[in-house]
Amino acid sequence: MSSLIQVVINGILLGSMYGIAAVGLSLIFGTMRIIFIAQGTMIVLFAYLVYWASIKAGVDPYLSLLWVVPFAFILGLGLFYVLFRKAAALEDRNVSLLLAVGLMYLIDNLILKLWSATPRGLDIPYSDAMIVVSGIRVSWLRLALLGLGLGSALVVYLFLKRTRVGTAVRAASEDMEATTIQGINSVWVCAISFAIGIAMAGVAGVGMATVYSFDYQFGFVFAIKALVALALGGIGNVFGALAGGLILGIIENLAAYYVGIEWIEVASYGIFMLVLIFLPQGLFGRRGLVKKV
Amino acid sequence: MANPLLEVRQLNVAYGDVRALWDVSLEVEEGSIVALVGANGAGKTTLLKSIAGLLRPLGGQILFEGEDLGRLNTKHRVDKGIVMVPEGRRLFQTLTVLENLRLGAYLPKARAGYDDSLDRVFTLFPRLQERKNSKAGLLSGGEQQMLAIGRAVMAGPRLVMIDEASLGLSPILTRHIFELIVALNGQGATVLLVEQNIHMALKICSKAYVMKTGHIVLSGTGEELLADVDVRKAYVGERGSRL
Ligand SMILES: Nc1ncnc2c1ncn2[C@@H]1O[C@H](COP(=O)(O)OP(=O)(O)O)[C@@H](O)[C@H]1O
Ligand SMILES: [Mg+2]
Repeated sequence: MSSLIQVVINGILLGSMYGIAAVGLSLIFGTMRIIFIAQGTMIVLFAYLVYWASIKAGVDPYLSLLWVVPFAFILGLGLFYVLFRKAAALEDRNVSLLLAVGLMYLIDNLILKLWSATPRGLDIPYSDAMIVVSGIRVSWLRLALLGLGLGSALVVYLFLKRTRVGTAVRAASEDMEATTIQGINSVWVCAISFAIGIAMAGVAGVGMATVYSFDYQFGFVFAIKALVALALGGIGNVFGALAGGLILGIIENLAAYYVGIEWIEVASYGIFMLVLIFLPQGLFGRRGLVKKV
Repeated sequence: MANPLLEVRQLNVAYGDVRALWDVSLEVEEGSIVALVGANGAGKTTLLKSIAGLLRPLGGQILFEGEDLGRLNTKHRVDKGIVMVPEGRRLFQTLTVLENLRLGAYLPKARAGYDDSLDRVFTLFPRLQERKNSKAGLLSGGEQQMLAIGRAVMAGPRLVMIDEASLGLSPILTRHIFELIVALNGQGATVLLVEQNIHMALKICSKAYVMKTGHIVLSGTGEELLADVDVRKAYVGERGSRL
């Protein structure tokens, strides 16, 4: 029994990473209407930056949140205006999607060139610190991941619900033209929601640098995991996306523990397909990846 | 004579290669209600969208208070007080009534007048106050149309362009919405009204334009057009109309 609890807790903690990435995907999907496939690569990029700051300048990875999140936000604004602004206005979403694919491979190869193909991971002095409650061991580092997930999802939620621009983001995700008709600069609104999505990649990058070993090819796999989490949670619901990530983490850990580690991917993609077939709205979503017609 | 509030001169608009407006001209005097009528596909919505800055004309001019709006974008037009209630209402369905109204007053000038505007909307449409925390998607058709108009009022408009306000509403609700439009006009807003419900539109307007396949084919006062044999033929369904 306690081993089951241990497995579930580990799943939740690692799944937080998928959740953070899925919240970012959900924001970007809302206004851009594409699965931002480069999200995982962005996360890996930020993980490298955090890794680098730690190796070269001794900056604690969690302290790096202070610069990597604002940096990711500004990079997101820049990417939107340079790459996606024109494509976002087109009816055909394929151009934006292809741009995202191009961006993914460009950054993957940039990372390969800059940091080589050697997998990287940080040695963190406090990585062995555990809390032990009635035989269940939880590392502080992984618990911090859950904190990151809950914290950033809450910030995004409050932004969407409580701020003027956040309300405009929700409006634009529903009807871009009607948003423009209100005198709202919808291009700016899209840019903001894209940039917040990339800032979420910055948050996830910190998490990745602290608990994973990663290389230049890790981004695509991670983007797919985030997509699975999003499909589980359902689009248009911040906490749903986070919960989707946690559930995916639990599924993976259960599969690894009870069936065997080589079954992780089979289990998660199998469940992905099942959810899309039987619950296309996701477990908590108001609307799924596709709008019902 | 003073400039009309809105003047459209020789406007030509196309969607790609498909021409939708041909040399369209019209004038809207400050404080008036002007109706724009015509069959489906005549170009009424296209004209309103061009005035709102959502479409780029091929040629011609749109003047507001005598000033050519040129390539000014929608945001700046809304800031000048040119506000549209779009066809099909286009409410933000998952947002509450209050959130929809707040978005109507998004720009700084409108936001400064938010409390007054909200009072005004709730006085015109008491029903919206009762339902202010409901999701817009849960409102009835009539309430949705009130919200769509209320959202435009929140912008502090000089000119309200209403596209097919009566679409999908019962005759009683349609009458009610028309009364509210007259009340809105009584409070000083100039109204450009696109309508399928010709009879009622012609009754409340001071001037009307009739459009057909991208052209203005007829104009006059509401009474003149109501009396016009061709207008009646065209919309009562008799044959041989020149519309
Ligand atoms: N987005 C569009 N793309 C191409 N053609 C359009 C578009 N919108 C309208 N049209 C065409 O322009 C003409 C005028 O349409 P519209 O302005 O909507 O007319 P109305 O509002 O009077 O019914 C119609 O022939 C219509 O098919
Ligand atoms: Mg129309």
